[in-house]
Amino acid sequence: MTTESLTTEPALKGRVARSVLAGIGAFVAVGVYVLVSSIGLGLWTTLGPGPGLFPFAMGVLLVAMSAVWLVQELRNPSETTEGVDRGLVLAVVVSLAVLAGVLDLIGFQLSMFLFLMYHLKVRGRRGWPSSLIIALAGSVGAFYAFNYGLNVTLPTAGIPLLNSIGL
Amino acid sequence: MDTLNELIGGFAAAMTWQNLVFAFLGCLLGTIIGVLPGIGPVAGVALLIPLTMNLDATGAIIMLCAIFYGTAYGGTITSVLLNTPGEAASAITTIDGYAMTKIGKAGAALTIAAVGSFVGGTIATLGLVAAAKPLGEMGLMVGPPEFFALMVVGISLLVALAGKSMVKALISGALGLLISMVGIDPVAGAPRFTFGSDNLLDGVSFVAVIVGVFGLSEILSYRKDSAASIVHAPGLRSLLPNRTEWRRSAPSMARGTGIGFGLGLIPGMTGSVSSLLAYVAEKKFSKHRNELGHGAIEGVAGPETANNAHANAALIPLFTLGIPASPTIAVLMGAFLQQGLTPGPTLFTEHSEMAWAIIASLFIGNLLLLLLNVPLVGLWTSILRVPASILTAMILLFMVIGAYTINFNVFDVFVMIAFGLLGLALRHLDIPLAPMVLTLVLGPLMERSLRESLEISQGDFGIFLNRPISMVLIGVGVLIVLSPLLKLRKPKALNEDPET
Repeated sequence: MTTESLTTEPALKGRVARSVLAGIGAFVAVGVYVLVSSIGLGLWTTLGPGPGLFPFAMGVLLVAMSAVWLVQELRNPSETTEGVDRGLVLAVVVSLAVLAGVLDLIGFQLSMFLFLMYHLKVRGRRGWPSSLIIALAGSVGAFYAFNYGLNVTLPTAGIPLLNSIGL
Repeated sequence: MDTLNELIGGFAAAMTWQNLVFAFLGCLLGTIIGVLPGIGPVAGVALLIPLTMNLDATGAIIMLCAIFYGTAYGGTITSVLLNTPGEAASAITTIDGYAMTKIGKAGAALTIAAVGSFVGGTIATLGLVAAAKPLGEMGLMVGPPEFFALMVVGISLLVALAGKSMVKALISGALGLLISMVGIDPVAGAPRFTFGSDNLLDGVSFVAVIVGVFGLSEILSYRKDSAASIVHAPGLRSLLPNRTEWRRSAPSMARGTGIGFGLGLIPGMTGSVSSLLAYVAEKKFSKHRNELGHGAIEGVAGPETANNAHANAALIPLFTLGIPASPTIAVLMGAFLQQGLTPGPTLFTEHSEMAWAIIASLFIGNLLLLLLNVPLVGLWTSILRVPASILTAMILLFMVIGAYTINFNVFDVFVMIAFGLLGLALRHLDIPLAPMVLTLVLGPLMERSLRESLEISQGDFGIFLNRPISMVLIGVGVLIVLSPLLKLRKPKALNEDPET
């Protein structure tokens, strides 16, 4: 549940926080990947600069700046790292991913209705009436408002049975 | 006289009822975004781009521009009433604005802020009218090397000003450029960094990235400690400032306009720098400087005028040179590009009518904001009484619709989620997000002008140094990046210390 918010421990004096190290590591990895693949793309052609030149320069910049950052951290580790509410992050990210996963399958109206009900009723602990009204407005209401008001088509269900009842 | 005729033509086009409705809706949505503390102007404008995709280009841009400057005013309302800035440019207003609320003068503060915003915005738009032709003609003479050099200056200024560490700002900028390179290479046609996915051949969707990095990550980083406050909207009668307050505000508005207009022209300067400097100017020059910090009207009038003058002046480099001066303008530029318009000098030659209609709509929008905001202040504050769980659910709903409808593809929703997590990580590591947006939009343009320049010179990098304008610009850019002396203190730091 969202109640247990885990706060990352503040870095001890003289030690670089683990999250910072992980970040620097990730940037270096991305930078090296970019460097290798941009050489593969070709830095220079007979016509002039190739498709790999600009990415290569960015890869160099990324790796170089990560290195400078590491040196700065080793000398003077940054102290405060604000914690993240992991329950909240997990709930929002997973619910969004599930929503995106089933959007084309069961259509916008049903999937968005369930998504909103989860966030209002389950996570937000709102009463049934207000949850139902808002979830219906945000799913069925938004579907028709976008379709007919703004001419923007939101997905309908891929499953024939659901599709036939207008979802 | 040519300019005047074209402006009149622009008014005729902007006054059609559809365009008036778009401007009105834009002001309304912009104010709401400004009021909501969870969602800033960058994510707000990006989020609403899909809504405008099926409109005609003029209407779409009118609406997005209105959203953009509407946010500049919306943020003020919460600054004054709640001591919480709705967006960064209004942070400094909390000092005297909230102090005025405590002594029962919230209404006067809000009215003066609205009038100041109107004055600043209108004068800056007049500047745009005057500068459009000459600057646009100058812009037409700029070749690829100069264009590249100009973008280097813009990005280096932003890098130098964003956050505490230039190293981190450069990392952010490099990431943005790399993300912008995903897809088919514009010159040679080779796919780059697509990981074999067909979905990535057209590049990563700009709107999905912005909504993820700025909007979703904001929601993901919400913390429990923000307790709900009770807000009371001031009554209509108390909204009218008295004569002394008017008289005291006038010079502050004049100073604010000058500062906001000047800084708005410089790429990389954000509205918060303008409002901060306007406050500093009040502390130096105002007749009532001793009262600042205890509810002096000058402390509201100066910064609020400055941030709207800034917002409108920042459109000048965009319209005339095609250079976005701030992250929000970069998003706006992305919207232009999505509509098939390239902002810059060619805008006035190829789409002259549309350009003037948009400029005319800026005047109308500023007036609409003034008419909308003051009497409706009760409505805006009632938005803040909506419980957080409902607001979060609604914002998530709009994010999903926004990301999905760009290409009508679920893939973009996943892109948004991924970039939401990236944004959260960057926030956690204290890496500024602003340079990333700017390079994300400018990346393809920069790369194209770099490669075109090098093709002209047959691979000789000397082309940037042989041409006087680009040489000076590159020199300025290098100086900025190399000189940590130019680092200004962020207004946020000042905000933590409200009595300074």
